[in-house]
Amino acid sequence: MPVIDGLRVRAMVRRHAYVQKRAPQRWFDLAVWPCVDTVIWGSIGAFVDQQGGAARSGAAYMLSGILLMHVVYQANVSMATGFMDETWSRNLLNLMVSPLREIELLASLMLVSLVRLVVGLSVVALAAWGLYAFDVTSAGIGLVPVIAVLMLVGWTVALLVIALMLRFGSGAEILTWGILFVVIALSGAFYPVDAIPGALRPVCELLPSTHAFEAARLLLDGEPMPWVRLAAAAAGLAVCIPAAVVFLLRMLHLFRARGYVTRYS
Amino acid sequence: MGKVLEARGLVKAYRRTTAVDGVDLTLDAGERVALLGPNGAGKTTTLLMLLGAVLPDQGTVEVLGHPLPAERSRAMEGVGFAAGYLPLPERLRVREVLGVFANLYGIASPGPLIDRALERFGIAELGKAMATELSSGQRTLVGIVKATLHRPQLLVLDEPTASLDPDIADQVRRGVERLCVETGAALLVTSHNMTDVERVCERVVFLAAGKVVADGTPAEVARRFGKGDLEQVFLHLAGREEE
Repeated sequence: MPVIDGLRVRAMVRRHAYVQKRAPQRWFDLAVWPCVDTVIWGSIGAFVDQQGGAARSGAAYMLSGILLMHVVYQANVSMATGFMDETWSRNLLNLMVSPLREIELLASLMLVSLVRLVVGLSVVALAAWGLYAFDVTSAGIGLVPVIAVLMLVGWTVALLVIALMLRFGSGAEILTWGILFVVIALSGAFYPVDAIPGALRPVCELLPSTHAFEAARLLLDGEPMPWVRLAAAAAGLAVCIPAAVVFLLRMLHLFRARGYVTRYS
Repeated sequence: MGKVLEARGLVKAYRRTTAVDGVDLTLDAGERVALLGPNGAGKTTTLLMLLGAVLPDQGTVEVLGHPLPAERSRAMEGVGFAAGYLPLPERLRVREVLGVFANLYGIASPGPLIDRALERFGIAELGKAMATELSSGQRTLVGIVKATLHRPQLLVLDEPTASLDPDIADQVRRGVERLCVETGAALLVTSHNMTDVERVCERVVFLAAGKVVADGTPAEVARRFGKGDLEQVFLHLAGREEE
């Protein structure tokens, strides 16, 4: 018996596709929000460029920052809200008493978030190109592993948030965005870690996303592939992902042991 | 006759109360059993433990030969569950909901099955309706269709006729009876409607304060308490709870 049943994963992906199709407000996260972000951060970068005080192109830094921030954002928010869909529609009990395995539910949420991530990134890339003539491919193929690291960071945060929702109920939903923006701020998405207050820097260095954003900036500056940064990010993920999975499993056990499913039925 | 469900010594305590206190319950293949008791007797907690959604503090559960929670997914392939109080997922049409759940139960092309199942319960016209636009009676019927698409060996229904009009409740009752006869599925049902229970079930298990206080045919249970029918037994037990 395979660990993951493709038919069940496909069923859950289809379930979320129906919701996406029939909920126009869901397109806000995918189309409007990325454009708004691009305009805000692209314009700040352009303003810095106009002042002539920066040695590096502010607009390019900001736009690459917003593009990569949306990798973490879409990966995290899509996965966490996909789980919330089941709690909002009180469908969790139906799923828990079906043959669906937890790993199949997570796999379907990851697939859905991957599709949403591609759409969201495409919107940012097109907006940056159309409004600021910024070509995201100028950083080269090196951006691919950077994006992969940030996507995994987004999913890891989502696992953490889902675990907290299992433990504390729907009140923990707000952490989807709360934890994300703490991570973004401490990762130096739009500025080098040097710009962050010294007391916070040790924490920043522990985050895999910090190394990914730094690697992206080096690539933009025309540096060769920053393998050291990518290795540091991979090492961080090697710790963070298993820790998030263990935490999720503990909270799932607690959820079943304390009968919290009745909160959603 | 093989057992479809075997639970031994189930105990579940929440912070201030022991909801289930040493419940044993077995169901043979094709058997139709009602789990009865006043509010707070532990019926729903027992059901949730039998389905693997809640872990017992003590005791064991085996469904279709698969121990829970270790083989929960395999066990649930042969189980159908519907509850009168559970809504259907939002923003999906009825056929889409049924298609998704059919896939979860391993049916790759469920179209014809869905048609037949909707017809069995007399709601073929609801296929294209949005799930959230259904009346509570229609929603219950669709929930039961969802639970029976894969022809489960064990059908578990929690309050299937609660807050339904008598005609819809009768539609539910007849549909469930027909399905159990046709497929040989065992039925475990909770209900506050004793008429439903006496018509559909051949055995009743009464819970009070988390314990099994009676187990037998409706007539045996009524006789044991010196009452004329299950309704009077229910009132007697509920009264005892208040003392």
